[in-house]
Amino acid sequence: MSNYSTDDNTAEAVSPAPLTRAEKRQARRIRRFDNPWLNPKLMWGGGLLLAIIALGIIGRLIWDLDLVFTGSSTLKLPPVGFENLRGQPGVWANPLGTDGGGRDMLALIIIGAPNTLFVGLLASLIGMSIGIFLGFSAGFLGGRTDDVIRVGADVMITIPPLLILVVFQSAFGDVTLTMMALLIAGFVWQSPTRLIRAQVLSMKQSGYVQMAQLSGASTTHIMFREMLPNLVPYLFGSFIASVTTSIVTAVGLEVLGLGPQRIPTLGRTIYEAINAGALIQNLWWWWGIPTLLLAVMFIGLLLINLGLDEVSNPRLRKLS
Amino acid sequence: MLDNDIRTDKPVLTLKDLSIEFPTPKGVVQAVSALSLDIHKGRRVGFIGESGSGKTTTALSVMQMLAEPGRVSGGTIDLGGTDILGLSEEEMRRARLSRVAYIPQGAMNSLNPVMRVEPQMWDGIIAHEGHMDRAELKRRSDAALQSVGLPLHTGALYPHELSGGMKQRVCIAMGIILNPELIIADEPTSALDVVTQRQVMQTLKAIQSEIGSGLMLIGHDMGLMAQTVDELAVLKDGELVEHGTVQQILEAPKHPYTRDLISSVPLVGGESFLNPDARAEAPRRDSSEPLLRFENVRKNYGAVTALQPLSFTLQGDTPQIISIVGQSGSGKSTMGSIMLGFNPPSEGRVLFEGQDVAGMNAAQSLEFRKNVQAVFQDPYACFNPFYRVNHALKFPFRQFGLSKGEEHTQSAMEEACEAVGLDPDLVLTRYPHQLSGGQRQRLIVARALMLSPKLLIADEPVSMVDASLRASILSNIYDLKDKYGISILYITHDLATAYHVSDFVMVLFKGHVVEAGPPREVIGAPQHPYTQLLIDSIPWPDLQRSWGDGKTDWDPTALEAEAAKASAVYRGDVPGFDLALG
Repeated sequence: MSNYSTDDNTAEAVSPAPLTRAEKRQARRIRRFDNPWLNPKLMWGGGLLLAIIALGIIGRLIWDLDLVFTGSSTLKLPPVGFENLRGQPGVWANPLGTDGGGRDMLALIIIGAPNTLFVGLLASLIGMSIGIFLGFSAGFLGGRTDDVIRVGADVMITIPPLLILVVFQSAFGDVTLTMMALLIAGFVWQSPTRLIRAQVLSMKQSGYVQMAQLSGASTTHIMFREMLPNLVPYLFGSFIASVTTSIVTAVGLEVLGLGPQRIPTLGRTIYEAINAGALIQNLWWWWGIPTLLLAVMFIGLLLINLGLDEVSNPRLRKLS
Repeated sequence: MLDNDIRTDKPVLTLKDLSIEFPTPKGVVQAVSALSLDIHKGRRVGFIGESGSGKTTTALSVMQMLAEPGRVSGGTIDLGGTDILGLSEEEMRRARLSRVAYIPQGAMNSLNPVMRVEPQMWDGIIAHEGHMDRAELKRRSDAALQSVGLPLHTGALYPHELSGGMKQRVCIAMGIILNPELIIADEPTSALDVVTQRQVMQTLKAIQSEIGSGLMLIGHDMGLMAQTVDELAVLKDGELVEHGTVQQILEAPKHPYTRDLISSVPLVGGESFLNPDARAEAPRRDSSEPLLRFENVRKNYGAVTALQPLSFTLQGDTPQIISIVGQSGSGKSTMGSIMLGFNPPSEGRVLFEGQDVAGMNAAQSLEFRKNVQAVFQDPYACFNPFYRVNHALKFPFRQFGLSKGEEHTQSAMEEACEAVGLDPDLVLTRYPHQLSGGQRQRLIVARALMLSPKLLIADEPVSMVDASLRASILSNIYDLKDKYGISILYITHDLATAYHVSDFVMVLFKGHVVEAGPPREVIGAPQHPYTQLLIDSIPWPDLQRSWGDGKTDWDPTALEAEAAKASAVYRGDVPGFDLALG
């Protein structure tokens, strides 16, 4: 991974003496160190997520999405180049095979993967907004407000979200993606709240906030102009972490057969595969492809998180 | 260059052409270049220089504990015949503590908070000499604690139960427990106040001469060095600019930088580093009320009283500097934050021009903020890292409605920067981390100047700034009074600077004012035992005015107990400032 940059020649041209291999690598590392956003982890993570979004957009343009309906193709066809247990070979009309209902796998993931990502992003966007609001209020106002918010967040953090959501969702029956995101958002605001509260508490004591107070700054100015910009790296990190949590929760519900009933999502596809005995019938592509996509998504998010850590915390960046 | 008196055998430490570099994105930084120095057995060698001069880096290279990505790029380090740079990690581990001990800067952070003191001392013995029975370990840790003058029961306590000075002495005890050949002490007293500093330094000196090891003392305080070491090495930008005995260096410094360092230490009774200007007119005041008035102000933190009831009136018709001196925990910073309205008093009232600071409405509050400004201790924290430094100057200027447009703001900023000796083109558009502590503190002074408040509260404005810059920043602050007519409350632990800058001095001890009056009397000829204790603890850069070597004849605890019994001494008044004792 560290060798992807290819400007060995420029390094040699700049320096009069020919550099050794180790020195060239050092020079490259230093260049990367100079601009934290050129972080390989961040770029790979972002690339993986963009690839999934691109799959959704380009897929919609070039693939026939009607294939997502039940019975639109032959049942249980394998991906191209494989044979199923009946000896049927994969066909190019359904390059990733079809499921037990005759739905095209490619069409399923073109619609399903962005849906899963959407639920995760929306849920954590709402969760983060609540978290920023409550965290700032608790940290800044202190006193009774702080007590209520802190105890509330602490109590909520101990409640296993899946348990409550299962009850909710079974009561609601069919839900839309947005509804599901809202429900999940109710369980991802606690940790950003605690994180921001802690940061605000320590920042409140800092010299520059005191200076701003001396300068006659209003509370809103101190919150949003002095404190918030310095919180951005934390907010980013916390956002990515809560996207991961939201997706895990959403997929967990879908695999249990809850969540949206009519809209394809990766979790729902896995649920149907398990329900139809795909494991016994060796229909590995049915559950395997959505699982693989989820794995790619999580690895992408993890890499972004690690990359952001290095951007915001220079001590993690290493030269050697 | 050195006198040849005690030259017994091989030196314990020989640095030869030592160079240390740090590769960074901007190129290789030469932290130390071609440094050669010997430390002999039983000798104390001081390394003095500003932050960034390479003193700590040199010490860490002897321990082979350089922070990444630093590396020794040339030269040799010889520790009593062993080539340090040739040792493997395991061999080096065995050499640390047993042959070379390191006493770190912040003792508060180097002790494990969840372990009692004794087991932490045993760890070092066990790591080097293997397991031994408990009684033997106990005997040795007791001996070490005794040698640094701590009672034996200290061993059974947790670090948070000890005071800063005691923790630092525990660190010294740990350092000497294996009788090392060389002790490296990296600013061991920088976090302590003067009284504790004297006690800790005397302990260190006594124990070092007892075990006869070499001592490498790192510091930036010329006075402390004069009181402690035999030889002095002056470092500047990684180079050894001067090396000799303390006497040679203090009496006949050769290098101009050394002369600067020596002259930057203000002396009580010595020549003033200020050049008083023509008295400025006080800012025209609309109110006939006194500028600042304390009415029986008292502050409690839980059961602890940080500030005993205190009343004073600062008239403010002629600009004055009132100094408040005391050790940490004396209540002086509490007083500062009460004046700024950050910290409401538990009892009593603070009146600014007749207005109670606690009960102001929004408009009055803005007016109060405009008129009462502050310079804080830590210039590193005072700037928001997200903005360029001019944000800190521009924002209040606009906020208080002083600005008549963008160009006016810009010219006011430039003018203020020039007044404190900064080049506006160079500093104003930088980010805070690109400026040194001294530059930042000057900018804060420039900020105060731009706003031209009626009252400035300067809370230890120079304690975190390099010694050579202190005098010039203080004279910047002094100019605020002299040229711009701002009254100043100067909060400090440094009696020597208070002596020079102030018109009136209050000495605080455990929340009480114990002595007050004009500085020439209070600091020049102290009468209260506590003030005397403070004066005696100052490390003078003067070999005639020695602390003395004995550690038994000087017991600060007993002296403080005595001071607590003595009643306050009031040494006369200055017009415009009234202090009511009681």
